[in-house]
Amino acid sequence: MTVELRARVLAAAAAQASPTRADVRRRNVCIALAAVASGLGAFMIFAVLMSDGHLLRLGGDVAPRQYLERTAGLVAATVGGALGIAAVAVWLALGRGRSMLGRSRPSLLVGAALIPISLLAWRVGCSIAFGTTMVPWAERPGERCLALSLLVAAGPLLSFLAIRRSSPAQPALNGAVIGIAAGACAWVAADLWCPVAYVPHVLLGHVLPLGVLAGAGALLGRGLLAPRSS
Amino acid sequence: MERYARGDEAAFADLYDAIGPRLLAFLRRATRDAPAAEDLMQETLLHMHRARGSFIPGAPVRPWAWAIARRLATDRARRRRVERGVFSETPSDDPTSYEPVATSASADDLLHARRLAGRILQRIDALPELQRTAYRLLRDEGLSLKRAAAALGTSVTAVKLRAHRASVALRTVVREMEGLA
Repeated sequence: MTVELRARVLAAAAAQASPTRADVRRRNVCIALAAVASGLGAFMIFAVLMSDGHLLRLGGDVAPRQYLERTAGLVAATVGGALGIAAVAVWLALGRGRSMLGRSRPSLLVGAALIPISLLAWRVGCSIAFGTTMVPWAERPGERCLALSLLVAAGPLLSFLAIRRSSPAQPALNGAVIGIAAGACAWVAADLWCPVAYVPHVLLGHVLPLGVLAGAGALLGRGLLAPRSS
Repeated sequence: MERYARGDEAAFADLYDAIGPRLLAFLRRATRDAPAAEDLMQETLLHMHRARGSFIPGAPVRPWAWAIARRLATDRARRRRVERGVFSETPSDDPTSYEPVATSASADDLLHARRLAGRILQRIDALPELQRTAYRLLRDEGLSLKRAAAALGTSVTAVKLRAHRASVALRTVVREMEGLA
Protein backbone atom coordinates (compact mmCIF):
# COMPACT_ATOMS: atom_id res chain seq x y z
CA MET A 1 0.00 0.00 0.00
CA THR A 2 1.51 3.23 -1.08
CA VAL A 3 1.92 6.40 0.90
CA GLU A 4 0.21 8.23 -1.96
CA LEU A 5 -2.88 6.07 -1.64
CA ARG A 6 -3.04 6.70 2.09
CA ALA A 7 -2.67 10.43 1.55
CA ARG A 8 -5.32 10.35 -1.17
CA VAL A 9 -7.86 8.55 1.02
CA LEU A 10 -7.22 10.76 4.03
CA ALA A 11 -7.54 13.89 1.88
CA ALA A 12 -10.76 12.63 0.34
CA ALA A 13 -12.19 11.94 3.79
CA ALA A 14 -11.14 15.35 5.04
CA ALA A 15 -12.88 16.96 2.07
CA GLN A 16 -16.16 15.15 2.70
CA ALA A 17 -18.52 16.18 5.44
CA SER A 18 -19.47 13.42 7.81
CA PRO A 19 -22.14 13.92 10.47
CA THR A 20 -21.28 13.25 14.08
CA ARG A 21 -23.48 11.20 16.40
CA ALA A 22 -25.25 14.33 17.62
CA ASP A 23 -25.94 15.41 14.02
CA VAL A 24 -27.30 11.97 13.15
CA ARG A 25 -29.51 11.96 16.24
CA ARG A 26 -30.94 15.39 15.39
CA ARG A 27 -31.49 14.41 11.78
CA ASN A 28 -33.23 11.17 12.77
CA VAL A 29 -35.53 12.98 15.17
CA CYS A 30 -36.50 15.42 12.40
CA ILE A 31 -37.13 12.56 9.97
CA ALA A 32 -39.19 10.66 12.55
CA LEU A 33 -41.30 13.77 13.19
CA ALA A 34 -41.78 14.16 9.45
CA ALA A 35 -42.88 10.52 9.26
CA VAL A 36 -45.45 11.02 12.03
CA ALA A 37 -46.68 14.25 10.42
CA SER A 38 -46.99 12.70 6.97
CA GLY A 39 -48.78 9.64 8.33
CA LEU A 40 -51.21 11.70 10.40
CA GLY A 41 -51.74 14.15 7.54
CA ALA A 42 -52.51 11.37 5.10
CA PHE A 43 -54.86 9.76 7.62
CA MET A 44 -56.73 12.99 8.27
CA ILE A 45 -57.05 13.83 4.58
CA PHE A 46 -58.20 10.35 3.67
CA ALA A 47 -60.56 9.99 6.60
CA VAL A 48 -62.16 13.38 5.98
CA LEU A 49 -62.51 12.74 2.26
CA MET A 50 -63.89 9.24 2.64
CA SER A 51 -66.06 9.63 5.73
CA ASP A 52 -67.54 13.05 5.25
CA GLY A 53 -65.88 14.37 8.38
CA HIS A 54 -66.76 11.48 10.70
CA LEU A 55 -63.43 9.89 11.50
CA LEU A 56 -64.59 6.84 13.40
CA ARG A 57 -68.04 6.40 11.91
CA LEU A 58 -67.24 5.77 8.33
CA GLY A 59 -69.63 3.83 6.15
CA GLY A 60 -72.89 4.63 7.84
CA ASP A 61 -74.59 4.36 4.51
CA VAL A 62 -73.33 0.89 3.73
CA ALA A 63 -73.32 -0.90 7.06
CA PRO A 64 -75.85 -1.50 9.81
CA ARG A 65 -75.43 1.19 12.42
CA GLN A 66 -75.05 -1.16 15.37
CA TYR A 67 -71.89 -2.61 13.77
CA LEU A 68 -70.36 0.79 13.26
CA GLU A 69 -70.60 1.75 16.88
CA ARG A 70 -67.54 0.03 18.19
CA THR A 71 -67.14 0.19 21.91
CA ALA A 72 -64.30 2.27 23.30
CA GLY A 73 -62.90 -0.92 24.79
CA LEU A 74 -62.75 -2.65 21.42
CA VAL A 75 -61.13 0.37 19.75
CA ALA A 76 -58.63 0.71 22.59
CA ALA A 77 -57.81 -2.99 22.52
CA THR A 78 -57.33 -3.28 18.75
CA VAL A 79 -55.47 0.01 18.39
CA GLY A 80 -53.38 -0.52 21.52
CA GLY A 81 -52.32 -4.01 20.46
CA ALA A 82 -51.56 -2.88 16.93
CA LEU A 83 -49.55 0.02 18.31
CA GLY A 84 -47.47 -2.36 20.40
CA ILE A 85 -46.82 -4.66 17.44
CA ALA A 86 -45.98 -1.66 15.25
CA ALA A 87 -43.48 -0.47 17.88
CA VAL A 88 -41.82 -3.90 17.83
CA ALA A 89 -41.78 -3.82 14.01
CA VAL A 90 -40.11 -0.40 13.95
CA TRP A 91 -37.58 -1.54 16.55
CA LEU A 92 -36.81 -4.61 14.45
CA ALA A 93 -36.54 -2.64 11.21
CA LEU A 94 -34.48 0.30 12.42
CA GLY A 95 -32.45 -1.23 15.23
CA ARG A 96 -29.19 -2.90 14.37
CA GLY A 97 -28.50 -4.80 17.55
CA ARG A 98 -24.79 -4.76 18.36
CA SER A 99 -23.58 -4.98 14.77
CA MET A 100 -23.14 -2.36 12.10
CA LEU A 101 -24.53 -4.91 9.66
CA GLY A 102 -27.90 -4.93 11.36
CA ARG A 103 -29.94 -7.84 12.56
CA SER A 104 -29.30 -11.35 11.38
CA ARG A 105 -31.11 -12.76 8.39
CA PRO A 106 -33.11 -15.32 10.44
CA SER A 107 -34.36 -12.70 12.88
CA LEU A 108 -35.43 -10.43 10.02
CA LEU A 109 -37.19 -13.29 8.25
CA VAL A 110 -38.96 -14.41 11.41
CA GLY A 111 -39.97 -10.81 12.15
CA ALA A 112 -41.22 -10.29 8.61
CA ALA A 113 -43.40 -13.38 8.91
CA LEU A 114 -44.64 -12.85 12.47
CA ILE A 115 -45.60 -9.17 12.32
CA PRO A 116 -48.45 -9.56 9.79
CA ILE A 117 -49.62 -12.76 11.48
CA SER A 118 -49.61 -11.07 14.89
CA LEU A 119 -51.52 -8.04 13.61
CA LEU A 120 -54.13 -10.22 11.92
CA ALA A 121 -54.48 -12.51 14.91
CA TRP A 122 -54.81 -9.58 17.31
CA ARG A 123 -57.42 -7.86 15.22
CA VAL A 124 -59.52 -10.96 14.67
CA GLY A 125 -59.04 -12.14 18.25
CA CYS A 126 -60.19 -8.82 19.72
CA SER A 127 -63.18 -8.73 17.39
CA ILE A 128 -64.20 -12.25 18.34
CA ALA A 129 -63.81 -11.40 22.01
CA PHE A 130 -65.94 -8.27 21.68
CA GLY A 131 -68.51 -9.86 19.32
CA THR A 132 -70.42 -8.12 16.55
CA THR A 133 -67.81 -6.88 14.03
CA MET A 134 -66.99 -10.22 12.39
CA VAL A 135 -70.13 -10.22 10.24
CA PRO A 136 -69.64 -10.22 6.44
CA TRP A 137 -69.89 -6.79 4.83
CA ALA A 138 -70.22 -7.31 1.11
CA GLU A 139 -70.27 -3.57 0.47
CA ARG A 140 -66.81 -3.11 1.94
CA PRO A 141 -64.42 -5.57 0.36
CA GLY A 142 -61.45 -3.58 1.63
CA GLU A 143 -60.19 -1.47 -1.24
CA ARG A 144 -60.59 1.75 0.72
CA CYS A 145 -58.64 0.35 3.65
CA LEU A 146 -56.01 -0.79 1.16
CA ALA A 147 -55.72 2.74 -0.22
CA LEU A 148 -55.68 4.25 3.28
CA SER A 149 -52.93 1.89 4.43
CA LEU A 150 -50.73 2.57 1.41
CA LEU A 151 -51.26 6.31 1.64
CA VAL A 152 -50.50 6.49 5.36
CA ALA A 153 -47.48 4.17 5.06
CA ALA A 154 -45.77 6.01 2.19
CA GLY A 155 -44.23 8.75 4.35
CA PRO A 156 -43.04 6.44 7.13
CA LEU A 157 -41.57 4.03 4.56
CA LEU A 158 -39.41 6.74 3.01
CA SER A 159 -38.56 8.16 6.43
CA PHE A 160 -37.50 4.79 7.82
CA LEU A 161 -35.31 4.19 4.77
CA ALA A 162 -33.72 7.59 5.34
CA ILE A 163 -33.09 6.79 8.99
CA ARG A 164 -31.60 3.37 8.21
CA ARG A 165 -29.46 4.90 5.44
CA SER A 166 -27.29 1.89 4.71
CA SER A 167 -27.42 -1.87 4.95
CA PRO A 168 -24.43 -3.39 3.20
CA ALA A 169 -25.13 -7.02 4.07
CA GLN A 170 -28.82 -7.50 3.20
CA PRO A 171 -30.36 -4.32 1.81
CA ALA A 172 -33.37 -5.93 0.15
CA LEU A 173 -34.42 -7.92 3.21
CA ASN A 174 -33.88 -4.94 5.46
CA GLY A 175 -35.93 -2.81 3.08
CA ALA A 176 -38.71 -5.40 3.14
CA VAL A 177 -38.82 -5.36 6.94
CA ILE A 178 -38.84 -1.56 6.87
CA GLY A 179 -41.81 -1.75 4.49
CA ILE A 180 -43.61 -4.08 6.87
CA ALA A 181 -42.85 -1.75 9.78
CA ALA A 182 -44.31 1.18 7.84
CA GLY A 183 -47.31 -0.99 7.04
CA ALA A 184 -47.70 -1.88 10.72
CA CYS A 185 -47.81 1.83 11.54
CA ALA A 186 -50.47 2.31 8.86
CA TRP A 187 -52.36 -0.66 10.34
CA VAL A 188 -52.85 1.39 13.52
CA ALA A 189 -54.48 4.14 11.47
CA ALA A 190 -56.62 1.64 9.61
CA ASP A 191 -57.68 0.11 12.93
CA LEU A 192 -58.79 3.52 14.15
CA TRP A 193 -60.74 4.13 10.99
CA CYS A 194 -62.26 0.81 10.06
CA PRO A 195 -64.73 -1.14 12.18
CA VAL A 196 -64.82 -4.18 9.88
CA ALA A 197 -63.12 -7.33 11.14
CA TYR A 198 -64.58 -9.71 8.56
CA VAL A 199 -61.55 -11.80 7.64
CA PRO A 200 -61.66 -11.47 3.81
CA HIS A 201 -61.93 -7.69 4.27
CA VAL A 202 -59.01 -7.66 6.70
CA LEU A 203 -56.92 -9.78 4.34
CA LEU A 204 -57.51 -7.50 1.37
CA GLY A 205 -57.64 -4.11 3.06
CA HIS A 206 -55.22 -4.56 5.93
CA VAL A 207 -52.87 -7.51 5.31
CA LEU A 208 -52.32 -7.09 1.57
CA PRO A 209 -50.81 -3.59 2.05
CA LEU A 210 -48.18 -5.16 4.26
CA GLY A 211 -47.17 -7.42 1.38
CA VAL A 212 -47.20 -4.55 -1.10
CA LEU A 213 -45.11 -2.43 1.24
CA ALA A 214 -42.70 -5.29 1.89
CA GLY A 215 -42.16 -5.61 -1.87
CA ALA A 216 -41.77 -1.87 -2.32
CA GLY A 217 -39.42 -1.76 0.66
CA ALA A 218 -37.31 -4.57 -0.78
CA LEU A 219 -36.99 -2.76 -4.12
CA LEU A 220 -36.25 0.58 -2.50
CA GLY A 221 -33.89 -1.05 -0.01
CA ARG A 222 -31.89 -2.68 -2.78
CA GLY A 223 -31.65 0.65 -4.53
CA LEU A 224 -31.12 2.97 -1.58
CA LEU A 225 -29.57 0.97 1.25
CA ALA A 226 -26.91 -0.94 -0.67
CA PRO A 227 -23.57 0.87 -1.00
CA ARG A 228 -23.04 1.87 -4.62
CA SER A 229 -19.77 2.12 -6.44
CA SER A 230 -19.29 5.57 -7.94
CA MET B 1 -13.58 3.61 14.87
CA GLU B 2 -15.15 4.40 18.21
CA ARG B 3 -12.75 7.33 18.70
CA TYR B 4 -13.55 8.53 15.20
CA ALA B 5 -17.28 8.25 15.79
CA ARG B 6 -16.88 10.39 18.91
CA GLY B 7 -15.36 13.14 16.78
CA ASP B 8 -11.60 12.50 17.00
CA GLU B 9 -10.67 13.45 13.43
CA ALA B 10 -7.15 12.05 13.70
CA ALA B 11 -8.54 8.58 14.41
CA PHE B 12 -9.40 8.10 10.74
CA ALA B 13 -5.71 7.69 9.94
CA ASP B 14 -5.48 5.01 12.63
CA LEU B 15 -8.54 3.31 11.22
CA TYR B 16 -6.93 3.37 7.78
CA ASP B 17 -3.73 1.83 9.14
CA ALA B 18 -5.68 -0.82 11.04
CA ILE B 19 -7.83 -2.15 8.24
CA GLY B 20 -6.52 -0.57 5.02
CA PRO B 21 -3.81 -3.10 4.10
CA ARG B 22 -6.01 -6.18 4.56
CA LEU B 23 -8.94 -4.50 2.90
CA LEU B 24 -6.81 -3.61 -0.08
CA ALA B 25 -5.45 -7.16 -0.28
CA PHE B 26 -9.01 -8.51 -0.18
CA LEU B 27 -10.10 -6.17 -2.93
CA ARG B 28 -7.06 -6.93 -5.07
CA ARG B 29 -7.83 -10.63 -4.89
CA ALA B 30 -11.49 -9.95 -5.57
CA THR B 31 -10.96 -7.67 -8.56
CA ARG B 32 -7.56 -8.71 -9.96
CA ASP B 33 -7.18 -5.08 -10.80
CA ALA B 34 -4.88 -3.01 -8.60
CA PRO B 35 -6.19 0.47 -9.57
CA ALA B 36 -9.80 -0.70 -9.20
CA ALA B 37 -8.99 -2.21 -5.81
CA GLU B 38 -7.49 1.07 -4.65
CA ASP B 39 -10.55 2.98 -5.82
CA LEU B 40 -12.85 0.52 -4.08
CA MET B 41 -10.85 0.71 -0.88
CA GLN B 42 -11.14 4.48 -0.96
CA GLU B 43 -14.89 4.23 -1.54
CA THR B 44 -15.24 1.73 1.30
CA LEU B 45 -13.38 3.94 3.75
CA LEU B 46 -15.31 7.01 2.64
CA HIS B 47 -18.55 5.11 3.15
CA MET B 48 -17.40 4.32 6.70
CA HIS B 49 -16.35 7.94 7.12
CA ARG B 50 -19.82 9.17 6.16
CA ALA B 51 -21.46 6.63 8.46
CA ARG B 52 -19.34 7.37 11.51
CA GLY B 53 -22.18 9.20 13.24
CA SER B 54 -24.23 6.02 13.28
CA PHE B 55 -21.45 3.74 14.47
CA ILE B 56 -22.58 1.47 17.29
CA PRO B 57 -20.11 1.55 20.21
CA GLY B 58 -18.32 -1.76 20.47
CA ALA B 59 -19.54 -3.09 17.13
CA PRO B 60 -16.98 -5.13 15.17
CA VAL B 61 -15.50 -3.05 12.36
CA ARG B 62 -14.00 -5.65 10.04
CA PRO B 63 -17.19 -7.49 9.02
CA TRP B 64 -18.79 -4.13 8.36
CA ALA B 65 -15.86 -2.95 6.23
CA TRP B 66 -15.72 -6.23 4.34
CA ALA B 67 -19.46 -6.20 3.70
CA ILE B 68 -19.27 -2.68 2.26
CA ALA B 69 -16.23 -3.59 0.16
CA ARG B 70 -17.87 -6.73 -1.15
CA ARG B 71 -21.04 -4.86 -2.05
CA LEU B 72 -19.08 -2.11 -3.82
CA ALA B 73 -16.94 -4.66 -5.69
CA THR B 74 -20.03 -6.57 -6.78
CA ASP B 75 -21.71 -3.39 -7.91
CA ARG B 76 -18.64 -2.31 -9.84
CA ALA B 77 -18.30 -5.72 -11.50
CA ARG B 78 -21.97 -5.65 -12.47
CA ARG B 79 -21.57 -2.21 -13.99
CA ARG B 80 -18.53 -3.26 -15.92
CA ARG B 81 -20.30 -6.32 -17.27
CA VAL B 82 -23.19 -4.16 -18.36
CA GLU B 83 -20.82 -1.65 -19.92
CA ARG B 84 -19.02 -4.36 -21.81
CA GLY B 85 -22.24 -5.99 -22.86
CA VAL B 86 -21.18 -9.45 -21.77
CA PHE B 87 -22.49 -11.65 -19.02
CA SER B 88 -19.31 -13.15 -17.66
CA GLU B 89 -15.82 -11.91 -17.19
CA THR B 90 -12.99 -13.73 -18.92
CA PRO B 91 -10.75 -15.11 -16.21
CA SER B 92 -7.23 -13.89 -16.30
CA ASP B 93 -4.69 -16.45 -17.53
CA ASP B 94 -1.79 -14.52 -16.15
CA PRO B 95 -1.17 -15.61 -12.56
CA THR B 96 1.28 -12.81 -11.89
CA SER B 97 0.79 -12.90 -8.16
CA TYR B 98 2.17 -16.41 -7.88
CA GLU B 99 5.56 -16.62 -6.24
CA PRO B 100 7.25 -20.03 -6.16
CA VAL B 101 8.30 -20.96 -2.65
CA ALA B 102 10.68 -23.81 -3.38
CA THR B 103 13.45 -22.05 -5.23
CA SER B 104 15.45 -25.23 -5.45
CA ALA B 105 12.68 -27.13 -7.23
CA SER B 106 13.18 -28.41 -10.72
CA ALA B 107 12.00 -26.46 -13.74
CA ASP B 108 9.26 -29.03 -14.35
CA ASP B 109 8.03 -28.72 -10.77
CA LEU B 110 8.00 -24.96 -11.01
CA LEU B 111 6.16 -25.09 -14.30
CA HIS B 112 3.63 -27.50 -12.85
CA ALA B 113 3.18 -25.38 -9.74
CA ARG B 114 2.72 -22.28 -11.87
CA ARG B 115 0.13 -24.01 -14.03
CA LEU B 116 -1.63 -25.35 -10.97
CA ALA B 117 -1.75 -21.90 -9.41
CA GLY B 118 -3.10 -20.49 -12.65
CA ARG B 119 -5.80 -23.14 -12.86
CA ILE B 120 -6.78 -22.61 -9.23
CA LEU B 121 -7.04 -18.86 -9.73
CA GLN B 122 -9.15 -19.42 -12.84
CA ARG B 123 -11.35 -21.84 -10.93
CA ILE B 124 -11.75 -19.36 -8.07
CA ASP B 125 -12.78 -16.71 -10.58
CA ALA B 126 -15.27 -19.09 -12.13
CA LEU B 127 -16.92 -19.93 -8.80
CA PRO B 128 -20.31 -18.38 -8.11
CA GLU B 129 -19.80 -15.04 -6.41
CA LEU B 130 -21.29 -16.16 -3.10
CA GLN B 131 -19.04 -19.23 -2.90
CA ARG B 132 -15.97 -17.26 -3.93
CA THR B 133 -16.52 -14.54 -1.35
CA ALA B 134 -17.29 -17.00 1.44
CA TYR B 135 -14.13 -18.93 0.61
CA ARG B 136 -12.00 -15.80 0.55
CA LEU B 137 -13.39 -14.34 3.75
CA LEU B 138 -12.66 -17.59 5.59
CA ARG B 139 -9.40 -18.69 3.99
CA ASP B 140 -7.74 -15.49 2.86
CA GLU B 141 -9.05 -12.97 5.37
CA GLY B 142 -9.24 -15.33 8.30
CA LEU B 143 -12.69 -14.17 9.40
CA SER B 144 -14.56 -16.47 11.75
CA LEU B 145 -17.63 -18.27 10.42
CA LYS B 146 -19.85 -15.97 12.46
CA ARG B 147 -18.25 -12.78 11.19
CA ALA B 148 -18.14 -14.01 7.61
CA ALA B 149 -21.84 -14.85 7.91
CA ALA B 150 -22.52 -11.35 9.22
CA ALA B 151 -20.52 -9.77 6.41
CA LEU B 152 -22.38 -11.81 3.82
CA GLY B 153 -25.76 -11.32 5.45
CA THR B 154 -26.43 -15.01 5.74
CA SER B 155 -26.30 -17.86 8.23
CA VAL B 156 -23.22 -19.68 9.48
CA THR B 157 -24.51 -22.88 7.88
CA ALA B 158 -24.81 -21.19 4.49
CA VAL B 159 -21.25 -19.85 4.75
CA LYS B 160 -19.97 -23.32 5.67
CA LEU B 161 -21.80 -24.82 2.73
CA ARG B 162 -20.54 -22.23 0.25
CA ALA B 163 -16.95 -22.51 1.44
CA HIS B 164 -17.19 -26.29 1.35
CA ARG B 165 -18.46 -26.26 -2.23
CA ALA B 166 -15.66 -23.90 -3.21
CA SER B 167 -13.11 -26.19 -1.54
CA VAL B 168 -14.52 -29.22 -3.34
CA ALA B 169 -14.25 -27.42 -6.67
CA LEU B 170 -10.65 -26.42 -5.99
CA ARG B 171 -9.69 -29.90 -4.81
CA THR B 172 -11.05 -31.24 -8.08
CA VAL B 173 -8.73 -28.91 -9.98
CA VAL B 174 -5.77 -30.10 -7.92
CA ARG B 175 -6.66 -33.77 -8.49
CA GLU B 176 -7.03 -33.18 -12.22
CA MET B 177 -3.65 -31.48 -12.38
CA GLU B 178 -1.98 -34.16 -10.29
CA GLY B 179 -3.46 -36.75 -12.65
CA LEU B 180 -1.83 -34.97 -15.58
CA ALA B 181 1.55 -34.61 -13.87
